[in-house]
Amino acid sequence: MRRICLINGSLRGKKASSLEFLRDVESRLPDAEYAKTIVTVKARLNGSYPSEVLGQLAAADALILVFPLYAYAIPGALMRLLEDYCSYTRSGKQYTREAKVYAIVNCGFPRPVIFGECVRVLMNFCRRLSLDWRFAVCISSGPVVVTTKRVPFLDLKLKRAFAAIASDLKSGGSAPRVDYFIRPAIPAPICLMVKRRYEKKMDMR
Amino acid sequence: MRAVIFSDSDCKTELSENLTAGLARVLADNGAQVQAIGLQRDRVAPCLGCFLCATRHRGECVNKDAVGEIRRDVKQLGLTVFVTPVVFGHFSSTVKNALDRGTGSHAWQIVIGCSSDIDAEEKSTFIDLTAKHCGSADIVHPGMDSRVDVHVTQSLEENAAICESLRRDLLAAGQA
Repeated sequence: MRRICLINGSLRGKKASSLEFLRDVESRLPDAEYAKTIVTVKARLNGSYPSEVLGQLAAADALILVFPLYAYAIPGALMRLLEDYCSYTRSGKQYTREAKVYAIVNCGFPRPVIFGECVRVLMNFCRRLSLDWRFAVCISSGPVVVTTKRVPFLDLKLKRAFAAIASDLKSGGSAPRVDYFIRPAIPAPICLMVKRRYEKKMDMR
Repeated sequence: MRAVIFSDSDCKTELSENLTAGLARVLADNGAQVQAIGLQRDRVAPCLGCFLCATRHRGECVNKDAVGEIRRDVKQLGLTVFVTPVVFGHFSSTVKNALDRGTGSHAWQIVIGCSSDIDAEEKSTFIDLTAKHCGSADIVHPGMDSRVDVHVTQSLEENAAICESLRRDLLAAGQA
């Protein structure tokens, strides 16, 4: 039985869009075929992540990172987990080299171009640790996608992307390394208009 | 002008110490009121994504620490400098926590990656991470829509060049 570690990189608890996406992808991985563990990042830590937590990442045949984009990049809380995992592997502890790595990233912005550098960071992480980078599912306007995903026919691309992760895992990594970009059902100009109005109201600029 | 220099005090190196001291000196010589903050990983809470700083109590972060205090006064900052180790082409988690919590000056930010053992792809990723996303109004992050400069240094000579570039920019800003 293959071991999968799903990493929830959001600190928003039950309100998190990332948690919704994590559950979606988890539901596509049958319990009979995969031993799944979920690691959620922590807001407060004394020292580094406990070795039991890092051991779950080390033992996994595949890591699926699900997280929100913060300022075009990885949230600080998730970055800390990646740093601690890197130190753990460098301390000589056993870990699964060539473990497959997937990412599901969501953000509040409607244009997928924003994800490019974040994906490159994850590729660098995999290269440093000799992990097998597979691909990312990049979800624009994550909260909008969560709200509309139960509307029939609107979430086909999302379903296809999550199915691609399940299928790639099953086939042992035979799918092409192509990232999936999911745009919201609501057109980008409307999302941007709402965003600008929100920022103006909140005096964020 | 009030300026804050954030650095990662858990990852101090000769290179980062030299750079931070050099930047503080240039800023002070040009009349800036400088505050250097060494961030410790266990003392800087990450952004919780609660948006209460934008909705309920503006500018106030629910996490009460040194970063929260800077966040409250961020609109009065003329310049914020982030000095960070480059980890996989990214900020260190500690500096990223400060950045995520909106401590970047709305007028001018300088982001400096400071590592001697990075490869070309990591260097390029780090630069693009900041440079590609500033100034494009459609995708710009609130608080990063103003001037943001990015550098990577791997030697004391590059530190000196960054300090000299800052000195020239401050002179130009003073003359404008």
